[in-house]
Amino acid sequence: MMEVLVILFAFTLFYLSMAERFRVYAALIGLQGLILFGLSIFELREINLANLIFIVTETLVFKAILVPFLLYRIIKRTGVLRVHPKTMPGFYTLLMAIGALVISTLLSSVLEGKAMERLTITAALFALITGIILIITHRRIFSHMIGFLVIENAVFLFSLAVGSKTPYLVNIGVLLDIVVSVLILGVFVGRIGARFNDLETESLTDLRH
Amino acid sequence: MQLLYYYILTVVLVAGMLLIRNRATVNVLTGLFLAGQMGLCVVSWMNKGSDVLSYFTFDALAVLFLTLLTLLSITTVIHGFVNLKDNTTRRYQQYHAALAGLIASITGATLANNLTVVWVFVEATTLTASVLIYHEKNKLTLEAVWKYIFVCSTGIAIAYFGILFLGLGMQGNARFDLSFSAMSELVTRVNPLYLKIAFLFVLVGYSTKMELFPMHTAGVDANSVAQPQIGAFISTAMVNLGFVSFFRVYRMLYHTSIFSWMNHILLIVGLLSVLTAAGYMLKARHVKRMLAYSTLENMGIMAIALGTGDNGYYAAILILVVHSLIKSGLFYQLSQLFRTLHTYMLKETGNYFILNPPGALVLLSGTLLILAIPPSGLFLPEFLTFLSLAESGNWLVLILLLFFLCFVVYAFATRMMHVLFSNPVEDHPEPVMVRPYILELAVQWIMFAAAILLCFYQPPFLQQLMKEAVQMF
Repeated sequence: MMEVLVILFAFTLFYLSMAERFRVYAALIGLQGLILFGLSIFELREINLANLIFIVTETLVFKAILVPFLLYRIIKRTGVLRVHPKTMPGFYTLLMAIGALVISTLLSSVLEGKAMERLTITAALFALITGIILIITHRRIFSHMIGFLVIENAVFLFSLAVGSKTPYLVNIGVLLDIVVSVLILGVFVGRIGARFNDLETESLTDLRH
Repeated sequence: MQLLYYYILTVVLVAGMLLIRNRATVNVLTGLFLAGQMGLCVVSWMNKGSDVLSYFTFDALAVLFLTLLTLLSITTVIHGFVNLKDNTTRRYQQYHAALAGLIASITGATLANNLTVVWVFVEATTLTASVLIYHEKNKLTLEAVWKYIFVCSTGIAIAYFGILFLGLGMQGNARFDLSFSAMSELVTRVNPLYLKIAFLFVLVGYSTKMELFPMHTAGVDANSVAQPQIGAFISTAMVNLGFVSFFRVYRMLYHTSIFSWMNHILLIVGLLSVLTAAGYMLKARHVKRMLAYSTLENMGIMAIALGTGDNGYYAAILILVVHSLIKSGLFYQLSQLFRTLHTYMLKETGNYFILNPPGALVLLSGTLLILAIPPSGLFLPEFLTFLSLAESGNWLVLILLLFFLCFVVYAFATRMMHVLFSNPVEDHPEPVMVRPYILELAVQWIMFAAAILLCFYQPPFLQQLMKEAVQMF
């Protein structure tokens, strides 16, 4: 079952690479949250109840519900529905995603550990590179935020691979997710969306002097 | 236990600053906070070498940078009192509460003896610093704060990836914990590949705070829009925090097989930092950005000093200490410059020597000192770095470094001379002759005097502390 969830997580990354509508992005981020919730339940059965409740609340309530809700709210508030027309076409970003998967697989193949652990690490590295690709190749700030959320999910997935023996690390990873994501989404919802109408990175270049 | 009292006191005082709408009360509470900070500093000296509350330590590295942080906090608060006179009471409250929060967060990260605790406090510095960067609440500060939060958060997430890689490598060990002292024993048994990946992630992640290539951009933008005294604080105390966090990981990996590989990476990163700084300084149009890129250049030299191995550690620490004194003095002076010229744009500035001779003298002296021209305290560590590069046979790095530094010196000196002596090139707001505050000037001169003194004489207790700070486990 866990293998299926990890592979499903990898599929969401491919879909994210090709998607052009922000609503799809928001839905995929929510789906990733659900997958991480499932993985948390299967992976962390050994650790105590308090930790488990903490992590499950974070994945289900926060990643699967709250973050997508805030993303939909931003889309509604700003009225920006699609990625910028000049953004790299989906076909090329898909090719880059395939390249990212190959690199992640090669990298994790040289690491030690069980097969399941290596599969999770591959998916986490794949998510990390995909997040960076999203930030680099896209022009609108919304896509950058999605890239950042994907990186956050990558960190969480990675901490799951390490975390069954070191639950302390997982809690810290969770804390990182909550603090930073809320902060970034808060700034975005509260300020950026209201001030910068087109939400393109070109409108954030006044400081380059 | 005193550390716990410090944090309880901080929480109470910050709450008071936010709740009581009275400037005089905020001033008193800020003064009390500084007294607490100084008290903690004294305690750290008295208990040097001991651990506190399991997750913190008063080792030499922590004591040195806590002392420097306390000094910078006092001077920053003094300049804040002067620069925020026209602010509304609400903003005044928010500013001082955020500044106290930032100082307390940096204190925690400096004293932390555990990878995850460091990370938590570093994250807290991003939060509190973002409030200070956004203080003016305009479009520029919003852009800067967005970039700062975004880049720092991504950087810290990447650094956390590095920490997880270390955790992955140590999974087989029964007594696995994330304190630096325990990990330094365990890392020698970890697969070098894991260590290399972890080191790269941690270096890239913490480069956001150290203002080092490749994640230096957030700090530069923040420096250019924040109040000058906050620019000074980010350029010095925050950079020092980044160094302490990084250096603890570096020291942990000292006895591993990747040590020489790490040094090569540091040499490359250092050179790229100086090159980037030189390139941007040549086309800079903003005085504060010039100073921010100068920080990038100095941190580049510091990374190179670290990369030369044992001989360069002392030089690296000395660069950080002296740089903190000079750079903060220069940033503080920019608030006077702005009160006189009403602009930071280089083409609109000029004739500062005529308009504000005492302030201009500070700016001129600071320029010479930051360029490491004797008797600057930066001259000695930079010379030691060059010597160390030559001794370790890194001739190509030395030649390239000197070549890049020529551009840095040219760019920085010509632009500052323009501000001081030339007529403005473009239309500019009408300058105003202002009477500088004696206290401001006195603080700036004291910092420069200390930087000059360190060129000729380093007090034995300080020398001993710096040597202990760079001692490997």
